[in-house]
Amino acid sequence: MKNNLKNNKTNANIYIPLNGKIEEITQLTGDVRLFKIKTETPIDYVPGQFFMLSVWGAGEVPISVASLPEKNGTIELCIRKTGIVTSAIHSLKTGQSIGLRGPYGNGFPIDISKGRDVILVAGGIGIAPLRPLIQQFIKNHRKAGKVTLLYGSRTPDEIIFRDEVEEWEESGIAVALTVDKGNDNWKGNVGLVTGLWPEVRTDFKEAVAYICGPDVMIKAAMRDLFFLGMPDERIITTLEAHMKCGVGKCGHCYIGPQYICTDGPVFSYKEIKEQSILK
Amino acid sequence: MNKVLTVCPYCGCGCGLYLHVENGKIVGVSPSRSHPVNNGSLCVKGWNAYEFVAHPDRLKYPMIRQNGELKRSTWNEALTLVAARLDEIKRKHGPDSIGILSSAKCTNEENYLMMKFARAVLGTNNIDHCARLCHSSTVGGLAAAFGSGAMTNSISEITDAKVLFVIGSNTTEQHPMIGMHMLEAVDRGAILIVADPRRTKIAEFAHIHIRQKSGTDVALLMGIMNSIVNEGLVDTDFVRRRTENFDTFEEVLRRYSPDVVEGITGVKANDIRRVARIYAMEKRSMLFYAMGITQHITGIDNVRACANLVMLTGHIGLPMSGLNPLRGQNNVQGACDMGGLPNVYSGYQTVTDPKARKKFEMAWRRKLPESPGLTLTDMIEKAYDSSLKAMYIMGENPLLSDPDLNHVKEALERLEFLVVQDIFPNETSEYADVILPASSYAEKDGTFTNTERRVQLLRKAIEPIGESKPDWEIICELSNSMGYEMNYRGTYEIMEEIAILTPSYGGILHHRLQEGFGLQWPCHNINHSGTPYLHRKKFARGLGTFITVDFVPPDEPPDSEYPFLLTTGRIYFRYHTATMCRRTAVLEREEPESFVEINPEDAERLGIKNRSMVKVSSRRGEIELKAYVTNRTPEGIVFIPFHFREAAANILTNPATDPGAKIPEYKVCAVRIEPLAKPKKVRRIPSVDLEALRIT
Amino acid sequence: MKKELILDKNNLSYWLRQIRKKRELIGPLMNGGNDIVFKSVDKIHELVLDCPASLPSPKEFIFPQYEPMLRIRQASNVKYQEITDLSEKTRRVIFGVRSCDISALGLLDRFYLKGHKDSYYAERRRNTLFISIVCKDPDPTCFCIGLGTGPYLEKGFDIQITDLGDRYFVQIGSPEGAKTVKAMSFLFRRPQKTDYEDQYEVFLSSKARFHKRINLKGIRQMILEEKVKDDFWQWVADRCFECGGCVYNCPLCTCFTVTDRAYSEGTERIRLWDACMFKGFTRMAGGILPNEMMVKRTKRWYYHKLIHYPETLGGFGCVGCGRCTITCPGKIDMASIATKLKGLAISEEEK
Ligand SMILES: Cc1cc2nc3c(=O)[nH]c(=O)nc-3n(C[C@H](O)[C@H](O)[C@H](O)COP(=O)(O)OP(=O)(O)OC[C@H]3O[C@@H](n4cnc5c(N)ncnc54)[C@H](O)[C@@H]3O)c2cc1C
Ligand code: SF4
Ligand code: SF4
Ligand code: SF4
Ligand code: FES
Repeated sequence: MKNNLKNNKTNANIYIPLNGKIEEITQLTGDVRLFKIKTETPIDYVPGQFFMLSVWGAGEVPISVASLPEKNGTIELCIRKTGIVTSAIHSLKTGQSIGLRGPYGNGFPIDISKGRDVILVAGGIGIAPLRPLIQQFIKNHRKAGKVTLLYGSRTPDEIIFRDEVEEWEESGIAVALTVDKGNDNWKGNVGLVTGLWPEVRTDFKEAVAYICGPDVMIKAAMRDLFFLGMPDERIITTLEAHMKCGVGKCGHCYIGPQYICTDGPVFSYKEIKEQSILK
Repeated sequence: MNKVLTVCPYCGCGCGLYLHVENGKIVGVSPSRSHPVNNGSLCVKGWNAYEFVAHPDRLKYPMIRQNGELKRSTWNEALTLVAARLDEIKRKHGPDSIGILSSAKCTNEENYLMMKFARAVLGTNNIDHCARLCHSSTVGGLAAAFGSGAMTNSISEITDAKVLFVIGSNTTEQHPMIGMHMLEAVDRGAILIVADPRRTKIAEFAHIHIRQKSGTDVALLMGIMNSIVNEGLVDTDFVRRRTENFDTFEEVLRRYSPDVVEGITGVKANDIRRVARIYAMEKRSMLFYAMGITQHITGIDNVRACANLVMLTGHIGLPMSGLNPLRGQNNVQGACDMGGLPNVYSGYQTVTDPKARKKFEMAWRRKLPESPGLTLTDMIEKAYDSSLKAMYIMGENPLLSDPDLNHVKEALERLEFLVVQDIFPNETSEYADVILPASSYAEKDGTFTNTERRVQLLRKAIEPIGESKPDWEIICELSNSMGYEMNYRGTYEIMEEIAILTPSYGGILHHRLQEGFGLQWPCHNINHSGTPYLHRKKFARGLGTFITVDFVPPDEPPDSEYPFLLTTGRIYFRYHTATMCRRTAVLEREEPESFVEINPEDAERLGIKNRSMVKVSSRRGEIELKAYVTNRTPEGIVFIPFHFREAAANILTNPATDPGAKIPEYKVCAVRIEPLAKPKKVRRIPSVDLEALRIT
Repeated sequence: MKKELILDKNNLSYWLRQIRKKRELIGPLMNGGNDIVFKSVDKIHELVLDCPASLPSPKEFIFPQYEPMLRIRQASNVKYQEITDLSEKTRRVIFGVRSCDISALGLLDRFYLKGHKDSYYAERRRNTLFISIVCKDPDPTCFCIGLGTGPYLEKGFDIQITDLGDRYFVQIGSPEGAKTVKAMSFLFRRPQKTDYEDQYEVFLSSKARFHKRINLKGIRQMILEEKVKDDFWQWVADRCFECGGCVYNCPLCTCFTVTDRAYSEGTERIRLWDACMFKGFTRMAGGILPNEMMVKRTKRWYYHKLIHYPETLGGFGCVGCGRCTITCPGKIDMASIATKLKGLAISEEEK
C-alpha cells in the first residue's frame, strides 16, 4: 500500500531516536498503559503509522500511534507489557524521557471511506491503532455513512479504553463489545468478535472495514467480510511482525515481497491475497 | 582490520576460524577454508563466537566475599588470600581436604599447570574436570581395552567411509561439522545407521534408525555381535593376532541372541541382524558414539561393548575404520590428555605407577601423592559430608551441570572456602569466597586438542578485557605466592615441559603448530608428523582385550509413581551451561526458554497442549517448563535440555554413577509430568450463519 | 583523463603505497595454509592476486558483522541525553576484489540507499574505494558467467585491473577512481592495440575456464510456474544445519539485528549480522514463531533471491560468487539447488 508521507531524503542518521518526554501515564488495564509523550517539535503522522520506541539498554519496539497529531506535539501510545522492552517502557515514570523514531509505515487509507459506511473490527490491543481513526471520524462529523465498532477482548477487565468507548457511542458510533470469557458482572456478548456480524446494520458490499488484532482474528474477519460481499480492496488491516529497524533494512519484517514496516503495516485484503502475505 | 587464525571455543570439532580485530576489539568471525575439519563452514555458534568476548557482564576484576557480599579487590589481595587460606586448610586438614576442578574450556597448558598445582603445590591428586560427566567412561573403558581412549580416526576420513554406525550421538546438532562430513559420506553412497531413542536430525538422514529403549545399549550391541558371530562375519584373523580373551567373552555373548535382545531393547531381531550384516561386511565401517553411550551407570560397559564390536570385526587400525568417541568440549580431550584427572598425569601415566611418579617428582622437585584422588562426583559427596573443606574451580559450572543440583548446592554451601576462576559470573560463582577473573579464548595463547586428537594453536587476538588474566598466569602467580616457583615466559615454555614429560605429546611444540592446522597425537618426537589414525599394527597396550560385559538395567527405571523416562541432553543453539551463548544476541534469541519434549500420544493422554506449561518432577526435585509436543521423542520418554537455569534439568537427574568411571546417569531417570494449567476451554458462540447475513 | 590505462607490474606496489598514505589498504593475503583473507596489508608484496574466493565477501567492509551504531553516556540520566553517532569514517581502499562482489555492490547501494537511507552503510560506502581484478582463473564454484556479473565488468566499478602478464590493464569507472589514478598519473601509460588484444585474450580464456553455467532465469521461471513441489523444498529444509553461513557469506544478504549493551562507560546500540535461516529471526511478542518450520525459511531465502530481488531491485539476489557452495554444510547452496532443479525439470520432461 502506498506510503502517505514522503521518504526521508536528508543525510541525517535515521537510527538516532528523538527525545520524547513522558507527560502522562494512564493505567488502562492490568498490563496496558497509555503513554502521553511530548516531543520538542510536533511530528506529523496519520493513523496506522507507528513509532520505534526505545529504552536504552533494553532496545527498540514498534508501537502504533493511538492518537491524532496534536499542535503541541504530544503523541499517545498504548502499550501492552509483553517482554523485555515493553516492560522497560512500563517501568518509566512521568517526566522521564524516552527515545522515538518515526513515524514509519503507510497508515490507513482514509479516502476510500468517503461517503461509505465504516466497520471497525478490533481484538485486544488492536483497538489502539484504530483509536485515532475513530477520533478522526468523530472529529470530521461524518455526514454520510455510519461507523460501527466491533471490539473483542479476552475478559471484561481487559477492555481497553472502556470509558472512551462510551464517549464514542455518545458521539454516534455504533459499538458492539464481546469477551472470550465473561464474569459475574458481564451482561454483554461472549465469544469471538467475528460472531458480532449480525450486529452490523450496514450493507457489507458498500462498506469499508478496518481490522486490527491478533493474526487469527484478522484472517477470520477478512475471510468473513469477503464472503459477505465486501470487495477485497476495501477490507483493510494492519499486520504485526518482528521489527528491528522500522525502515526496510533489517529484514525481520519481510514477508513475501513486502516489508511490513515500509510497505505496510496497513494492507488491503487484495494485496494480502496477491502477494500471499498471510500464509 | 586484522584477522587472527584461531580455534572455535565451543565444541570438540575444533573448527578453524578467524577472529576479526579492529582497534583492539573483536568485530567478527569467519571460517577457515582450508581447515581439515570445517572446510569453510562453521555452525551457528562458531559464526557468533565473537560477540560474548566483550560483553558487559565479563568479570573484570577480582572479588572477595566480605560480610557475605562479593566486593572488588586487587589481584594482590585476592591471590594472597587464596594462597593463605589454601595453605591454612592444607596444614589443618591435610592436602586431600582440597579439591580442584580443572577445565575442558581452558588450554592444554593451563590444564597441565593446574594439575601440577594440585599435585606438586597442594600435594593432592584431587583434581578432576567435567570429562567426568561426559566421557570418563570412554577414558576408562578404552584404556582397558586398547590402552588409549580417544577417537581412533580423523574427521576428514569420514567422507570416504562406506558405513557409519552412530550410536547415542546427536551429531548434526552437537558436532555439526562432523555431521557435515557424515552427510557428505551419505551423499557419496555410504550407509548410515543411527541408534538413538530420539528421532534426532541425524536420524532423518539414516538408512536405518533403530530406537532402542534408553539404557539398553549393552544388550543392543551384544545382540549385534551375537549375530555377527552366528553369521560367520567375525574377522578371525584379527581376533587371533591382535586380541586376547575372546573365548571368555564369547560365552557370555551366546546368551544375547537377537530375539532375546529384542525383548530387552524393543528393537526388532531382524533389524539387529541387518545392522550386524551391514556393519560387519563393509571394511570402511566407522563406529561413532557420544553421551548416549557414556552417561549411564553402565557407561564403561557400553564403551567396552563398542570396543568389542570393532575388535570382533577388525574395524580398527585402518583409515576410515575405527571407534570414535565424539568428545564434547573444545578441549575436553586435551584436559584429559594433560592429566586433569585424579588417577593420571599427562599422557595417561598413572599416579600409582612408581616409575611415572618418580619422573614427575624429579621434574617438579616435590614428593607426589601416591594414591588416586577424588573424582568430581566424589568431591561433591565429600563436600556434602564436610570432609572436603575447600574447592578451587577453574572454568566450570557444577551448579548447573552436575546431577541432583539441590544436593550440589548444599555441598558447596558447606565448603569452608571456594575459589571460582571464570570469564563470566555463573551459578557456581554466587557461592564463591573469591572470584578470579580469567581471560577468554580470544585474549590468550595456548593449544586446544580437538576430538580427533588434533593439537591446535590458539592465538591471542586482543588484550585481556579489564583486569582479567589468562588462567595460566593466574595459576603461576598463585603458585609463586604459595612458595612454589612457576615462571614461564609464555605458553610455549609450558608446552615444552609437557612435551618432555608426556610421550604422546613428545613432538608437539608451538613453533611446529604455527604453520598449517596442528598435529595429531601421538607425536613422539620433533620429526614425527602426527598420527591420523590409531592402533595400526598393534594396540597402544599391545593386544586388544575383549572385556566381558553383561546387561544391567538403569538405576531408576520408570515405575507407576514416576512413569516417564527422562533423558537429558543439549540443543543446537545453546552450549552447556550457556554462560557464553546467553551473552550472544542471536543465540539467546533462538532458544530463550527451556522445554520438555514429549510424544503426542503421551501428551494427548495427559491433556498437555503444545507450548503449555507443565510440571516435571522426580524423586529429587521438580521444575516447571513448557511442553514441546513432538514425534522426535518416543512414547514413554521425555527429553529436557540441561542448559537453562530457570528450569534446570539437573534438579531432576539421578546422581547414581557408574561404579568404575563415576559418571552420573544423566540419560535415564524416572519422572512424572503434570499439566500446570488445565487446557483453557474457550466458550464459543455458535458460529454465525454467514449465508443468512449475506442475503439480508 | 583517459578511462583506460596501462600500469607496469613493477609500479603496482609503488602505486598502492601512495594510496595507502591516505587510506587503509585492505587486500587478499594468504594465511594458515591456503586461506585467503582480506585484511590490512602490511607487506604489499605479499598480496595474492590470483586467489580463490575469500570468506566472507567484502561486504564486511561496508556492512560489517558487528557495527556499533550509537552510544549514550548514561542511560539512567533521563534529563539529558547525549547520543553519539558511532558511524565508521575510516577511509579504505579494498584491493583485489572480484567482479561479482562489485556487481553485488550495485544492488546493495540500491537497497541501503533508496527510501530511508542507511547512514552507516552510506558513510562506509562513501569512504571506501574498490580496486577490482578481472578473474583469470575462476574457482570451480563460480557461476557469475551466466549472470553477467563477472568475470569482468563493463561498468559499476571504481577501478578494474586486468593482469596481462607483465602489466595491468587499468579501467576507471568512477570519479573517485579517476582521482586516485590521476594523482599518480606518471605511473600509467596509454594502452596500445596489443594491450586491448591481450585484455580480450584474458577475457576469452577466463570464460572458457568456468565449470558451472547456471541459468537462474530458468529456475525462477520454474518456481513461478509452481513446478517446484513442496517435497523438494522439504528435502532442502531437512538438510539445513541452520548455521547461517549462506547468509553471512553472501555479498547480497542484508539482514541484521540490533541489540543494546550496557557498559559501565555508557550504553551502546550495536547491530550484528543476522540470518533468516533462524526461527527466532521472526519471533513475535508472546513467543509466536511464524517461521518455525524450517522449510519456510529455506524457501524464503530462495524466493527472496530469485523472485523478489528482481522485482524490487532489478537483479537477482545472487551474483554467482559461489560462497554459499563453499560454506553450506548441507550442500543446499544456490548452485547445487539450481543444478538439482534443472535435473528434475529435464527428467520431468522425459516422462
Ligand atoms: C507495526 C506494529 C505496531 C505495534 N503497535 C503496538 C501497540 O500499539 N501497542 C502494543 O502494545 N504493541 C504494539 N506492537 C507489538 C509490540 O511491538 C510488541 O509487543 C513488542 O515489540 C514486544 O517487545 P518486548 O521487547 O517487550 O518483547 P520480547 O518478547 O522480549 O521481545 C524481544 C525482541 O523481539 C522483538 N519483538 C518481539 N515481538 C515483537 C513484535 N510483535 N513486533 C516487533 N518486534 C517484536 C522486539 O524487538 C524485542 O527486541 C506493535 C507491533 C508492530 C509490528
Ligand atoms: S562445529 Fe563446534 S567447533 Fe565448529 S564452529 Fe560449531 S561449535 Fe565451533
Ligand atoms: S547466493 Fe551464493 S553464489 Fe549467489 S551471491 Fe550469494 S553466496 Fe554467492
Ligand atoms: S549455509 Fe546451508 S546449512 Fe547453513 S543455513 Fe545456509 S542453507 Fe542452511
Ligand atoms: S523492521 Fe527492519 S525491515 Fe522492516
